[in-house]
Amino acid sequence: MKTNLRKNSKAIIILVIIAAFLFVAARGMSGRDVLITVLRGFSTGSVTFLVAAGFSLIFGLLDVLNLAQGTLYMIGAYVGWTVYVRPDTFIDVLTPVLLILAGFSLSALWGRLASRIQLAPKARKIISWLLILAGFGLLALVLTRYPIAIWNLNNYSESPITYSYMADQGLRIIPAEVTFEKISPFLALAGLLVSSAISAFGIALLNRDESRSQTINWRKFLVPALLLLGGILAVVFNAQITSWMYAMSTNWLFVIAILIAILSGVGLGALMETTLIRPLYNRPIYQLMLTLGLGTIGLQIVQAVWGRPEFVWPKPEFFTGTGGACPATNLADLLEYNCSTVFLLGGRVRVYDEIFIPIVGIIVLIVVWILLKRSRIGMIIRAGVQDRQMVEALGINVRRVFTLVFALGVGLATFGGALAAPSTGLTPVMGERLLLSALIALAIGGLTSFPGAALGSLLVGLIQQFMIKYGQIGIPLPFTDAVFKPSPPLVPASTVLLMVIVLLILPGGLLGSKE
Amino acid sequence: MSNILEVKNIHSFINQFHILQDVDFVVPKGSITALLGRNGAGKTTTLKSILGLASVREGKVIFEGREVQGMPPFEIAALGIGFVPEHRAIFRDLSVEENLKIAERNKGDLDRKRTFIFDLFPDLKKFLNLRGTELSGGQQQMLAIARALVADNSLLLIDEPSEGLAPVIIEHMIDAIRQLSEQSTVVLVEQNFLVASKLAKYFVIIEEGKSVASGLMKDLEADKAMIHRYLGAA
Repeated sequence: MKTNLRKNSKAIIILVIIAAFLFVAARGMSGRDVLITVLRGFSTGSVTFLVAAGFSLIFGLLDVLNLAQGTLYMIGAYVGWTVYVRPDTFIDVLTPVLLILAGFSLSALWGRLASRIQLAPKARKIISWLLILAGFGLLALVLTRYPIAIWNLNNYSESPITYSYMADQGLRIIPAEVTFEKISPFLALAGLLVSSAISAFGIALLNRDESRSQTINWRKFLVPALLLLGGILAVVFNAQITSWMYAMSTNWLFVIAILIAILSGVGLGALMETTLIRPLYNRPIYQLMLTLGLGTIGLQIVQAVWGRPEFVWPKPEFFTGTGGACPATNLADLLEYNCSTVFLLGGRVRVYDEIFIPIVGIIVLIVVWILLKRSRIGMIIRAGVQDRQMVEALGINVRRVFTLVFALGVGLATFGGALAAPSTGLTPVMGERLLLSALIALAIGGLTSFPGAALGSLLVGLIQQFMIKYGQIGIPLPFTDAVFKPSPPLVPASTVLLMVIVLLILPGGLLGSKE
Repeated sequence: MSNILEVKNIHSFINQFHILQDVDFVVPKGSITALLGRNGAGKTTTLKSILGLASVREGKVIFEGREVQGMPPFEIAALGIGFVPEHRAIFRDLSVEENLKIAERNKGDLDRKRTFIFDLFPDLKKFLNLRGTELSGGQQQMLAIARALVADNSLLLIDEPSEGLAPVIIEHMIDAIRQLSEQSTVVLVEQNFLVASKLAKYFVIIEEGKSVASGLMKDLEADKAMIHRYLGAA
């Protein structure tokens, strides 16, 4: 109890120092600048928080440092952008993705079957790998023939940059539809399903020991059946859904894009955890190398599919109004004219970047907090962080909770990417920078503490934005006439400095536990 | 069926260490069986092997007529085995109420068992909103046992319930375990021979990963030479 108090007093001292520092920093600015800088700090902090919170959830329960989190953040942005700017591509891709998932989600059934097959260990290994290779080979064969309307990186007028520019100008070009030419629709669908089922069976056979005695009931078939149905519906009504999405208001399209980005993260997370992370639970170094490697692979794939250059994600209608009483001075005007900016304390504040993003960040904070503190799954997570074996000894399937948490953590990262992209634009390197910020934020706040992730992210966001602002207006150095303008590289450096100070005083971070 | 649990010649590993090398015993239904033996003999590992927390590479564990070795621990536990581990393993980020609630296997388990649990451990009722680790050692032990009672468990595995407790509290614990053994079969690991002999009807002695003797507790109490040989001074 006493040490607890002492620890808290240290954290309070640090917070007071930071507050004083921010106060002094704010003294050099006009009230308008302070407001905008603080709002931007909240904005940067919110996005950092989404990635950091996912990282912290995953690390807390699974002890896995998911260094791919930055790449996944970027993937969220690119997936969201595609849904928003090229709905036709999204609908075309939807069918293969759903069918492949359907094939893989039969793994429970495969596990049951695989445990019945008696083979010598060596033969089992060879056969599993042959099946996996055959499955993926067949998948590649089908996928290359599957018709997907996509941009062309080699032709500037059909590149993502052009499409995003056009969409930004309010021009919606509906590209020509592609049709099944190289392969018959039935063959394509069956091929996708069968090939993914074959590789899923191979994987189940390889991990045979882990999947004994799982009971089979109709519920296990519900998810694959729904996925299959969704995939078939998407291909049958392809044209209708596409034209419906093109006709939709950009606000709804934006909501759909964000949801798909989150879902893609959840799916990727579940896939990563069940196939790649699970065999490595007791080998931290391998996990580290795996997630780092996956991050790099993801980056290369994104560069190969979307190209290297930066492009923009046009904001939805709700945040782009300029006519009427814009910039708005009150809430009624803002809502009526959908202003892109508002006047606050005499300064112009961008609604999406500086108001909407922080609000979403706070909402996510509250929702995840409630999930952790009030729900049964949150209770299991909090208990599992401390003692997995005991939770399992109570009859709870911890492994399923692990998959869920990993999926949720990755979903938060892709959510962050899709949320930030309309404000920051898309570039393949956006993830690396953010991963660094998120890691620093976690070190400051405490690696496994959820409120710590929020506090650390906020501090990192504020410090970055104040440094950027002072880079513009300069700090007059005392006793001299010189004005010091922090150069851009000092922005990340300043957060590292804060981290060093905090860790020297409190090795566990501001709100972290002592271990 | 008179035996709720049969452990047949098991060999168990924790990581790569071959801890149990042929442990073999049965647990008759509706009684308390004590696992005895020196420190490091493999008693705790035996409990973990039953639950699947230690990997059983040879032999069989049969619970209520069903072979459970090799099943994932959560499935074995869900068949109706409650576990009270060494050092209690109270969840420190959960309140006392949540520590009980997490053990629910069906919705409403805790509400059904509430009166039974609080009759057994009236102290817990006062501390429902405290965090698990704000309790004293004895209260934590009670909470750990109570947690194993929330779901309908026909078998309870209790590891070292008297460890580190004051004599008065040990007396209370003995009463409680005796009471709950009227409802479920208990397998008890106990260093304190006095406690074990007060509670258990049957005993199994484990020595260096092997079960070396078993039988009725009252026969063991009479056999001072055997106690001396396997358990040291008694």
